[in-house]
Amino acid sequence: MDEVKVMDEQQRNESLNRHVELNTMQFIVAQLGGEQYGIDIKYISNIIRMSRITRVPKVSDYIVGVINVRGVVIPTISLRLKMGLPEDEITKKTRIIILTLEQHESIGVLVDEVKEVVTLDEEHIEKMGYEKDEKERFLSGVGKTEGRLISLLDITSVLADVMES
Amino acid sequence: MDTSQYLDIFLDESKEHLQNLSDQIMDLEQNPDNMDTVNEIFRAAHSLKGMAGTMGYKRMQTLTHDMENVFSEVRNGTFKVRPGMIDILFRSLDALEEYVDNIQQTTEEGTNDNQDLIDALNSILKNNGEIKPVNKAESAAKTEAEPAASGGDTKHSKWEGIKISDTERMLVEKAYKEGLKAYGITVYVEEACVLKAARAFLVFKALEKLGEVIVSSPTAQDIEDEKFDLTFSLIFISGSTTDEVRAAVKSVSEIEEVFCDAYQLEAAPEPEHQEAAPIKEEAPSEQPKPAEAAAPAAASSPAPAAAAAKPAAAKPAGKPVMNRTVRVDIEKLDNLMNLVSELIIAKNSLIAATAAEGKGDNNGSVNEQIEYLESVTTNLHESVMKVRMVPIESVVAKFPRMIRDLSKKLGKKMELYMTGEDTELDRTVVDEIGDPLMHMLRNSADHGLEPNDVRVANGKPEVGSIFLDAYQDGNNVVIEVRDDGGGINVEAVKQKGIERGTITPEQAETMTDKEVIDLLFMPSFSTAKKVSDVSGRGVGLDVVKSKIESLSGEVEVKNSFGEGSSWIIRLPLTLAIIQALMVVIGDEKYAIALGSIQTIEDVSPDDIKLVQAKEVIHIRGTVIPIIRLNRVLDIPPRDEEGQNLTVIIVKKGDKLAGLVVDELIGQQEVVIKSMGKYIKVPKMISGATILGDGEVALILDTNALI
Repeated sequence: MDEVKVMDEQQRNESLNRHVELNTMQFIVAQLGGEQYGIDIKYISNIIRMSRITRVPKVSDYIVGVINVRGVVIPTISLRLKMGLPEDEITKKTRIIILTLEQHESIGVLVDEVKEVVTLDEEHIEKMGYEKDEKERFLSGVGKTEGRLISLLDITSVLADVMES
Repeated sequence: MDTSQYLDIFLDESKEHLQNLSDQIMDLEQNPDNMDTVNEIFRAAHSLKGMAGTMGYKRMQTLTHDMENVFSEVRNGTFKVRPGMIDILFRSLDALEEYVDNIQQTTEEGTNDNQDLIDALNSILKNNGEIKPVNKAESAAKTEAEPAASGGDTKHSKWEGIKISDTERMLVEKAYKEGLKAYGITVYVEEACVLKAARAFLVFKALEKLGEVIVSSPTAQDIEDEKFDLTFSLIFISGSTTDEVRAAVKSVSEIEEVFCDAYQLEAAPEPEHQEAAPIKEEAPSEQPKPAEAAAPAAASSPAPAAAAAKPAAAKPAGKPVMNRTVRVDIEKLDNLMNLVSELIIAKNSLIAATAAEGKGDNNGSVNEQIEYLESVTTNLHESVMKVRMVPIESVVAKFPRMIRDLSKKLGKKMELYMTGEDTELDRTVVDEIGDPLMHMLRNSADHGLEPNDVRVANGKPEVGSIFLDAYQDGNNVVIEVRDDGGGINVEAVKQKGIERGTITPEQAETMTDKEVIDLLFMPSFSTAKKVSDVSGRGVGLDVVKSKIESLSGEVEVKNSFGEGSSWIIRLPLTLAIIQALMVVIGDEKYAIALGSIQTIEDVSPDDIKLVQAKEVIHIRGTVIPIIRLNRVLDIPPRDEEGQNLTVIIVKKGDKLAGLVVDELIGQQEVVIKSMGKYIKVPKMISGATILGDGEVALILDTNALI
C-alpha cells in the first residue's frame, strides 16, 4: 500500500491525546519550498504518492490535471503555483494530499513532502489579521510548536478561490 | 385518440407538480415577496394546466387556469400575496388533488366543478388581491349538489357488494358455528375530513377491540394509502350486537354515517336474520359508471372521450388504473450503473495486465476467460442501460390530441406529422423533455402558423403543418419541431426587444439574426400580441432553454422568414459508458466517441489545401475543414514533417470535420467519469475516463470542436 492511512494516524493521535483538553486542533504538516504549512486534518481524506497526472488543456496553470484515486477522477492543483512559489519539482518525496470538503467533492493538492501530524493548542495558534497580503490570503493563522512556526492554510478559501477562477 | 395509455405519466407528473406547488405555496406563505417562488408556482400551475388540457380533464384545467391567472397578476406586481389568498390556494390544491385521485381511481376527474374556489379565485382577481367573501351559500349549495347528482351515488350499504373468497367464507361459517356474528359495515367519512386514512385506521382499531375484520373493500393496504373515496366497507366477525358495533365505529370522529347489518352467506343457516343479502355475482355499482361521467366531456370532443371511457368501463371500479410495475428510484439504478462501470474498468485492467504479461503460450485460457468476462459485462451494461431507456413515444404521443384541441381553440386548421416516436432516451431525459416540447409545439401552433386566410393569400396550403421528428445522430438524439408557418419576424422581435428595454436601438442595428432569435429565449420575452391560454405569457422559451441545458442538450433555431422555422433540440444519449476510439496526440491519450466518427483517412500533407486561410481536404468530392488537435489542445507537435497525417472524420448534424491525430490506439469501451466541480473544463472535453492501466484519459466532445 502506498497510502498513508490518515484515519489510523488520526485515531492513534486521538487516543494519545485523550487526556488533552478539547480545544486542540490537528494539522498535517507539509513542506512547500522552505516553509512548512499546516493543513487541518479534518479536511484530509487521503495522502498518496505521486501518480500519473493527466493534463487538462485550457485551464488555469496551477491546475496540474486529473488523477485516478480508486476509480474516482480527482482534479489536482499545485499549491506552489497557487501560493506564487516556483513550479513543483517532482521527487520521491512528492505527495498528493486528497482534501474532501463537506460537499463530498474531492481535490488533490501537490506538496513537496508530508512531514508529520502536529496537535496544536488553541493558545498556540495566532490568528491572522484581516489585512492580508497576496501570500497570506490563504492562511488562517500561524501555529507554534516546539519552537517552530507553521503557517496554517485556510483550505476553504483556497478551494473557494479555485472554484471562482 | 386514446389517451388512456398516458395516464400513468399524467398521474406521476401531476402528483409531482402538485407536490411542488404545495411546497412552493408553503414557502410563499413564509416569504410572500419572493418572486422566484411566485415564478415557480406560476410555471408549475401552467404545466399542470397544459397537461390536464391535453388529457381532456376540463374541470382540472379550468381550476388551474384560474390559479395561474392569480399568479400572473402577482408576478406582474398588480397585487401582493395575502394570507387569505394562501388559504384559497391550498383549498384549490386539495381540489386538484381530488381530481387526480379520482382520475387514478376511475380515469375520470369526477363531476365536482369546485365553483366556489373558482369564484374565490376570480374575486381575488377582480378585487386586486382583496379577499371578499363570495356568495358562499350559493356556491356551497352548488358543490353540495354536484357529488350527490353524480351518477346516482346514493348512500347505501355497499358492503353487500363485497366478494369473499372461500377462506373468508369458511371463516364466516366458522363464526356462525361458534355463535359469533358476521357483520357487513359501510363507513362514510365526512367530506371535510383531512386524514381519511387515519380515521379509517381508528375505525379498524375500534372494531378490532370487538372482533376481527376479515375482509375490506378497498383492501386494507389501499385504505392505509388513502386510496379510497369517502367510504369503505368491511366484513367483520364479532360477538357484539349490531348497535355495539355501530357505536364503536361512530365513536371515531369525522365519521359521517355507518351502515351496519348482519352479514349472511348465501346458504347461511340463520333464517331469522331479516334483510338477507345474497352475494351478488355482478360487479357492484359502487362508483358512478365511467361512461356516464364521461358524457359531459364527450359533448365537446366525442371520439377521444368515448375512447378514453372505454378502457375505464372495462376495469373494475375502485381499482387504481396504474400498471403493476415496480417504481425504482433512479438513484438505485445509478448505483447499479456505477457498479457496472467499475466492473468494466476492472475488466479493462485485466486485459491490459495480460497484454503486459507478454505473449506467453499458456495465456490461451486466460484470454478465453477474459473474453467471456467481456461479453458478460457488455450484456450487463446493455441491460442496465435498457432499464433506463424508454422510447419518447410515451411523451410525444399525447401531442396529436393537443394539436387537435389547439386547432379548435385557435380557429386555425393544422396537422401534426410525427416521425421517430420509437427513438429511445434515458428515462430521466424523457421525463423532462415533455414540457419543453409541449411549449414548442404550442408556440408553433400559436405564433408560427398564420391564420388560414393569410396562408391562402400567401399561396400556401390552407392547412398548416407542424412536424415533430426525432432521430438518433451519433451519440445524440435530435428532436426537431418544424412548421411551415410565417417564420420568425426578426424585425418584430427587435422592435419588441427595444420596447422592453432588453436591447437599445443601437444594439438592434448591429445584431445578427441569430442574436435576435436568442432574445426569444430570454425570460419573460413574448411577442404574442394577446395573452391566450395557449402561449404568450413568456413562460415558454426561457423554460425550454433552461430545461434543455439542464439535460446538457442544446437548442438551435433555423428560421426562414415567410417559410417557417424549425427548432432543433440536441440531447446527449447520456450514456455513462460509451464505445470510444482511443487516440494519441503528442504524448497524451484522448478518447473520441465512436458514434460521431464517420471514417478515418490517411492524408498526405500535399492534399491539404488552404481555403480562406483555413486548412481543408478533399475527400470523395466533399471539402472538409481540418482541425489540428495538438493546436486546439495546446500539445507540442511531434516532429514529423512530411509524413502522412491520420485524420478522423467526425460528423455533427450535416457538418463534417477532420481531426488530425498522431496515433490510433483502438476501440475501447470507456466509462465516462465526472471531473468534479473544482475545475471548469473547456467545452471540448466532455469528461474523463479511467484506462485499464489506471491512467486517466480525457474524452473529446467533437460537437464542441466543429
